[in-house]
Amino acid sequence: MRFDCVIIGGGLAGLTAGLKLQSKGLDTAIVSTGQNALHFFSGSFASMQEAPAEIIELFSAAGIKLHYEKGVRLMPLGTFRDAELSLEDIELFKAPKFAKKALVVNLSGFHDFFASFLAEGLEKQGISCQIRSINFPELEALAKSPSEMRSVQIARIMDRITDKVIREVRMLLSDEDAVVLPQVFGLQDSAVIEQLRKGIPVRVVFAGTLPPSVPGIRTQMLLKRRYEALGGTFMASDEVLKAHLYEGRVHSIATRNLDNHFIEADNFILATGGYFSKGLRSNPFGISEPIFGLDVRFDENRSAWYNPSFAADQPYMKYGVVTDASLHALREGKALENVFAIGSILGGTRPELGTGAGLAIRSALEASNQILNIK
Amino acid sequence: MFDVIIIGGGITGAGTQRDCAMRGLKTLLIERSDIATGATGRNHGLLHSGARYAVGDAESAEECIRENMILRKIAAHCIDETDGLFITLPEDDLAYQKTFVESCRKAGISAEIIDPELAKRLEPSVNPELIGAVRVPDGSVDPFRLCAANMLDAKMRGGQVRLHTEVTGFIKEGDTVVGVRTRNLQTGETAEYFAPVIVNAGGIWGHGIAELAGVNVGMFPAKGALLVFAHRVNNMVINRCRKPSNADILVPGDTVCIIGTTSDRIPFEDCDNVAVTPEEVNLLITEGSKLAPSLSSTRILRAYAGVRPLVSADNDPSGRNISRGIVCLDHEVRDGLKGFVTITGGKLMTYRLMAEMATDMVCKKLGVNEVCKTAEVPLPGSEEKSYEDVAKKIWENPTTAQKAAASRHGTAVAAMPTGGRRNDALICECEEVSAGEIKKAIEHMDVSSLTDLRRRTRIGMGTCQGEFCACRAAGLLAKAHGCIERERKDLSDFLQERWKGNYPIGWGDTLREAEYTQWVYKHVLGI
Repeated sequence: MRFDCVIIGGGLAGLTAGLKLQSKGLDTAIVSTGQNALHFFSGSFASMQEAPAEIIELFSAAGIKLHYEKGVRLMPLGTFRDAELSLEDIELFKAPKFAKKALVVNLSGFHDFFASFLAEGLEKQGISCQIRSINFPELEALAKSPSEMRSVQIARIMDRITDKVIREVRMLLSDEDAVVLPQVFGLQDSAVIEQLRKGIPVRVVFAGTLPPSVPGIRTQMLLKRRYEALGGTFMASDEVLKAHLYEGRVHSIATRNLDNHFIEADNFILATGGYFSKGLRSNPFGISEPIFGLDVRFDENRSAWYNPSFAADQPYMKYGVVTDASLHALREGKALENVFAIGSILGGTRPELGTGAGLAIRSALEASNQILNIK
Repeated sequence: MFDVIIIGGGITGAGTQRDCAMRGLKTLLIERSDIATGATGRNHGLLHSGARYAVGDAESAEECIRENMILRKIAAHCIDETDGLFITLPEDDLAYQKTFVESCRKAGISAEIIDPELAKRLEPSVNPELIGAVRVPDGSVDPFRLCAANMLDAKMRGGQVRLHTEVTGFIKEGDTVVGVRTRNLQTGETAEYFAPVIVNAGGIWGHGIAELAGVNVGMFPAKGALLVFAHRVNNMVINRCRKPSNADILVPGDTVCIIGTTSDRIPFEDCDNVAVTPEEVNLLITEGSKLAPSLSSTRILRAYAGVRPLVSADNDPSGRNISRGIVCLDHEVRDGLKGFVTITGGKLMTYRLMAEMATDMVCKKLGVNEVCKTAEVPLPGSEEKSYEDVAKKIWENPTTAQKAAASRHGTAVAAMPTGGRRNDALICECEEVSAGEIKKAIEHMDVSSLTDLRRRTRIGMGTCQGEFCACRAAGLLAKAHGCIERERKDLSDFLQERWKGNYPIGWGDTLREAEYTQWVYKHVLGI
């Protein structure tokens, strides 16, 4: 099997690179283990100083509406944060006082949404607040198993009864000019979000829940669907077992599901994420990159990996794979000429590219451009 | 006006309050922090057979085995009767086994030499290189549960408890202590309480409490570090059959197992904040893997340390040779200070005996002639022997979550609200703690924070270390206490406390979980 480019990692960074390359006519494949950071996506891309027209277009073609404004957003525990580029689920306000009077609505028996924290946070901004909870008999089936009342399971049901949700919320409204709902809508399609905003006569604000993130999972699904529609090969639930390196280049890789076939490519993009996604591996003696054995920047002295204060920035989160100016990954001090590292695996080694979801898309575009230029 | 004030909400204080209450006294217990925050909650949770002390300290060994048999009867829901092994490895002297078994028998501990092959069948995790094995009646005990049950019983008998309340001074009349001045550390409120007898059960902090009363109790703070592993690797306690040393006890407890410990003298000013060092972690893993080799590849959940309240002797830098024996001081006889008693030394295993000795002294001072019944009357929750039976009596087909709750609260689980989405929803999935159980704990068990809740329900003690359940429980606590601002701080404190036990072992899956927690709390939830 042979591709123009093989991308290892099916999260935000990998999918973005895949979409871009595939839409420019390259033949690409994505190898994905299945878990990625979109499952706990806040809905906003950090550190985007300007509107990335290219990303907005790329995502729009996938059915994902992004909007860009400099503003603040409501966080799940009732605080506000600066945000710019966001999914359509996320409302961006000029100032935290986005309403005079708000109604915070929860679903009864749902413990992963923090109505009382939200209400207190809004009150602090001078928004008077009421909390109400709606008891949907449709959720009874979930409640039978005590660990089923989680965001994604609930969204599956809520998306079937959107009209009823609108009716119930409207019945609770008196003179409020905003309503805050949990992010448990639009798992398959953001049309549900639009429908709620149209059907409810006041401003509708969605606040996050504990993971999994419904908008994050939707985003991942839509990106993957678009990628496949463009002819990309998405190898789900697969994992790279070994790589063949030869004279400063990666020649091919072998995956678990295709154990007798090598996958060759002109270029490889490594987008396997940080520690949680297993892009970086740690043991008491050091931190390593398991697929290509790339150089990782970290402190030899383990005590220096941590700040004893949880609230402080953690040094270990700054460690990552070392790259040259054009994101070629280094191995034993030398750049591998056809391997690019993008996304969280970079840790904080490329601060100019931002962090989190912002780093994922910016480094994905950067590496894709490098590859397209070579062509 | 009380008959007796007990200072210290560890197992010794709780046990003393229960004993005093059972003898008809009007009691007040004052604790600076939460229940079981000192050495009580920072040990192995080992139900000692006494075998460990048999060779070097016959008196402690005899106390242990007597109390061991008593606790099996009165605290059934806090105890797991696992039995234990003392193994000899090729590097150990097998001749020690003979001395060990003889000393055990002399102390009244059943110690049976078994074939190493049989030991491997009984406990498949044991080091297969072993050359000798002795079976003893060790077990495991949940110290949080034991402490809570003692306090609950005292309260049911009219006792009062003030948690998060610090003793700031003693009120004296001439050569007699008549009361204490206190300050609530959460509200800042001050209060005075009076009683003819005051018992100092402050563990290592008893040193400072005695100083505050104007007397000196020379104590020896000996730090011990331990590691919690994410699986219950072993089903029997595994010890080394040699002179007691570092990291030679592996105890199974609930869903996890615990290796420990070390012993190093530390300054008094460090007692409030003991951190585990990388050297201690390395030692615990290396030595622990000799007991059960699979430990070297098992995920570590947490590192923690406690301070033993030993009573000091001269010229012993490690504290290993100090008797773990009980010290009950009548300061009237010793220092001419009337109305003040110190109960210290001893250990978790002998708390009931310590409580009995202290209560005997209190009763003598008060002229009360009631006998101690704590060796016969079961603790609340322990009226039934098996939690399976308890669960079956309440629910026709108990779920695993209901069985787990019954194992934590014994018969007291009957008072827990169940049924419906509101009560049965799982808050902590690792330990299967339901919303109903949390509500019960908040209402009846003096819970003011997430960490308090953890000590009473095991919430956040499992594999994910409170990743999500902390947030869910914070929602319930906020509702119960009606103060969101306090709950925000509580949540931050909980995460900090969790990180404190995680970063000394921050690699592999622990680091993965830590990174995830950073993302979820800082970037997704926006704490």
